[in-house]
Amino acid sequence: MSRDLDRGAEAAPLPPDPWDPLVRISHWLIAGVVLVNGLLSKPGGNLHVWLGWVALGTLAVRLLWGFVGPSEARFSAFLPDPVGALRHLRDLLRGRPSEYPSHNPAGAIMVYALWGCLAIVVATGLVMTDMKSPVTIAEDRAAVAAGDWSVLVDDSETAESDHEGDGIAKELHELAANLMLLLAMVHVGGVVIESRALRRNLVRPMLTGRGKMK
Amino acid sequence: MTGKSSRASGDRRQPLALAAVLLLQGIAAVFFVGDAVGDMLLDPTSPEGMLESLVALALVAGVVLSGLQLRAALERLATQERTLDTARGKLSDVIATQFQAWGLTPAERDVGLLALKGLDVSDIAALRGAAQGTVRAQLTRIYAKAGVSGRAQFGAWFVEDLLEDDLTLAPNEKTAARTAERS
Ligand code: HEM
Ligand code: HEM
Repeated sequence: MSRDLDRGAEAAPLPPDPWDPLVRISHWLIAGVVLVNGLLSKPGGNLHVWLGWVALGTLAVRLLWGFVGPSEARFSAFLPDPVGALRHLRDLLRGRPSEYPSHNPAGAIMVYALWGCLAIVVATGLVMTDMKSPVTIAEDRAAVAAGDWSVLVDDSETAESDHEGDGIAKELHELAANLMLLLAMVHVGGVVIESRALRRNLVRPMLTGRGKMK
Repeated sequence: MTGKSSRASGDRRQPLALAAVLLLQGIAAVFFVGDAVGDMLLDPTSPEGMLESLVALALVAGVVLSGLQLRAALERLATQERTLDTARGKLSDVIATQFQAWGLTPAERDVGLLALKGLDVSDIAALRGAAQGTVRAQLTRIYAKAGVSGRAQFGAWFVEDLLEDDLTLAPNEKTAARTAERS
């Protein structure tokens, strides 16, 4: 659209359009898992655990990408900067937000908060399921369904000892999951507001990238 | 995406496929490592567990290598894009973006642009109403930020990509011209 007009000679460099494919795919994988697991899938069900592991793998690759990826995807491009974040929000209130080469400072804080919540949710989920992979869990459940209760007996020996921990893990899991859903709503709201203020669609670079721009 | 040369869009799909495979590898690695760790905990000395650890290691190494490969592909694409932009007559945009990437101050950007246009130190100083020493110091800082040895290399930085592409394009164009003549 009016990218060239908006920036003028001295404008700051813009975030990438499009974001690199790894950032894009990992974003929508994580968003998908969070929405499905947080709202749709049966808590603790097979699908829930499978998707949780998918989120774990996706998060791991994205965090690796934060070290080896292109400059705008690296953590060094959006280090947590609370003061900068407040300044950005103030500029936004005044309707004059600046452009940044990666996530804006407020967005960056949100990104870390979302990743942090996801890490907690996955970690506590793993604690609740005794670190068993979804394959094992599905096998165990199939065995129980077939009338073989021995897997449960085996479990209770170890599970008994950290029963206390399981309760805390469950609380934390639920708390972090709900917090993450709340943050995601704020995140989407932020994207919409920021898109309005900057008069350019921020979602498209996250979806397909270059379109009408050129 | 529409109506552009198919080569360009093909180039753009390659990183997308690489990224998809990389994520798939990463997710598979996590599942496998999870399973392997579980087996190792049950029986640390079993040969099966050792084998699984080996495969897990290979998977993780594969993920890291794919990541580096993907970055190389993205960098190649970015260079191509810059070259095309330069060829399309967007040299001034390319220069402005690069000046920013090098972190030049506004004053340094002006001086750098004048230097690229071929003005010498005294011309620039006269134009900007500054002392020659100031301009010389600014140029030195510009070259340092750009990581070049001097004015010649500084100017060459922006045409280098173009020339490189020309070398590969030229023979193709010649053959194309020849076939066109014959038919
Ligand atoms: C490896 C990853 C995960 C595992 C192993 C896992 C496991 C579990 C288990 C076993 C429960 C049942 C708790 C209970 O009621 O006893 C549960 C509940 C739940 N999980 Fe997950 N989960 C994972 C990832 C996620 C993710 C990514 C989300 C995203 C928001 C999520 C959201 C929830 C929610 C909202 C509940 C309901 C909490 C409750 O009412 O107790 N989980 N999870
Ligand atoms: C539960 C859902 C979601 C979660 C957990 C989530 C999480 C994230 C994370 C972690 C990032 C950083 C990406 C990276 O650097 O790898 C991000 C960026 C982004 N997300 Fe989401 N997201 C969600 C939903 C959405 C939705 C529905 C939209 C679209 C309306 C959206 C639009 C964006 C955009 C445009 C960015 C880039 C922001 C920028 O320009 O700096 N997200 N999101």
